[in-house]
Amino acid sequence: MKRNLNFIDAGSLLETNETTSVDLTKIYLEKIKEADELNCFNTVSAEQALDEAEKSDLRRQQGKLKSRFDGIPIGVKDLFCTKNIKTTASSRILSNFTPSYESTVTQNCIDAGLVSLGKLNCDEFAMGSTNKTSYYGPVTNPWKSNKSDAKLVPGGSSGGSAAAVAADLCVASLGTDTGGSIRQPASFTGTVGLKPTYGRVSRWGTIAFASSLDQAGPITKTVEDAAALFEIIAGHDPKDSTSSTKEKENFLDNLNSSVKGMKIGIPSEFKSDDLPLSTQKAWDDCKKLLQSNGAELIDMSLPHTMDALPTYYIIAPAEASSNLARYDGVKYGIREEGKNLIEMYEKTRSVGFGDEVKRRILIGTYVLSSGYYDAYYIKAQKIRSLIKSDFNQAFEKVDAILTPSTPSTAFEIENEPTDPVQTYLNDIFTVPINLAGIPAISIPFANDENDLPIGLQLITNSFEEQKLLNIAKNVQDTVNYESVPKNWWQK
Amino acid sequence: MKFDKDSLYKLGKLSKIQIDESKLKSLSSDLGSIIEFIDRLKSIDTENVDPTSNSLDQSLVMREDIASDVNTANEILENAPQKELDFFSVPKVIE
Repeated sequence: MKRNLNFIDAGSLLETNETTSVDLTKIYLEKIKEADELNCFNTVSAEQALDEAEKSDLRRQQGKLKSRFDGIPIGVKDLFCTKNIKTTASSRILSNFTPSYESTVTQNCIDAGLVSLGKLNCDEFAMGSTNKTSYYGPVTNPWKSNKSDAKLVPGGSSGGSAAAVAADLCVASLGTDTGGSIRQPASFTGTVGLKPTYGRVSRWGTIAFASSLDQAGPITKTVEDAAALFEIIAGHDPKDSTSSTKEKENFLDNLNSSVKGMKIGIPSEFKSDDLPLSTQKAWDDCKKLLQSNGAELIDMSLPHTMDALPTYYIIAPAEASSNLARYDGVKYGIREEGKNLIEMYEKTRSVGFGDEVKRRILIGTYVLSSGYYDAYYIKAQKIRSLIKSDFNQAFEKVDAILTPSTPSTAFEIENEPTDPVQTYLNDIFTVPINLAGIPAISIPFANDENDLPIGLQLITNSFEEQKLLNIAKNVQDTVNYESVPKNWWQK
Repeated sequence: MKFDKDSLYKLGKLSKIQIDESKLKSLSSDLGSIIEFIDRLKSIDTENVDPTSNSLDQSLVMREDIASDVNTANEILENAPQKELDFFSVPKVIE
């Protein structure tokens, strides 16, 4: 099947005047309209998009382009504040919120001339790995099993961002990743998802979930696209005090897909009998591929891998319970009236938050409460040090680490386990990376026996995104994965 | 581990979230299973390990204290559920 239009090609088509930004934007707005059933968008900002596209075409005529990607239509996760465009975090509590300012990430996209088509559905406040916690209903994965007609989850929390790219409802999209929220949905939808080093991309204006873990990144159709969009959104921001002062590199122009002499680590802790055979095979095939392209495989250990998930489920809810304290019916969002101030707070938050968000606020409050703080929160922060130290030691011996992105391929929307801990296990391969603050990418490698995409994860040391993208490009170019989902959703 | 009714209500109070009586049972079992899961960490030896609060090896960056005109009071108040003059308005508090 023909590959969908990617970011780099869209740039070329615009450059050679084979299309215009207005034409591209109209095509995508039409596609979005026809894909209602996927529920990818919370808000489609058609009028603003066409307006921006017209301005881009005018800039092109006048030779005043903002970047070589000026005019490309993208989708934006509904977690980034966008000036005068509703921003809900897929939560009822923010269902009427229209920011008066632009997040740094989306401002960087505007500064490059990109056109936003609208705001993409996600799990409520980015908490989830199925996109089912959204107040606006679940996103449906454009992929379907060849053995069943059941609707599948796109993964989460950036489920809308990943599904929209897979279904070609935008050229590329922006997501955020706190414990796997870019890589897991990318893996479930056959797309490329990059989680940058913590601090590479500004968090200013991105609705906070767990501030020490949150990081924005691109979801795209190719590794080159990921490099291009990452380059646009990255860079120091004085408005984010944890933003890195490191110089931004030319990730796209510096792409070099040679892996000759590179050492690729294979961590023993990621091996499991529970791993589906097809995922295991994809992982093995990728090892062989890298080896035959000149890389050396190194068996290695990340001893605290299995401790990462419980550590994450202390740190992330703790930070979330603190971050979400601001939603109290006073400054923005909805308000439920009460007899007094406290009752107003309680009613507003009870009506405004969904079950998963409430669970995490309660757990976060519990682990931070008097008598438990040291036993849970400080303990988790200490184990976080051990996890980070595992990676530090590993990167003294290897250039990158290769693992599967997820323990399974996409599953049925109706089949989510009822025990929250079972759902949390979806993120077992992605969470350690956020705790260590290092970059990782998920790339589609093969389809399983049900014709569903399998993603593999590459991991490098902090600020080594260039190396990460280079290895990913090597794998992409060798394996030549070109599958796109069959279009069953078009009205 | 199970959460009893009183500890759930206490947690709800601290979190400013009303605990729905009809959901007490499922909430107690959900939170119980999460706590059981995170309790696995208790056996790990963390003697002499420093806690990590932020993975970035860089101290917090300061910026010049320069006034800017984003997020002005009027713009911010546009999103307030209730306002009076230049203020957020909340239910009366009398102690």
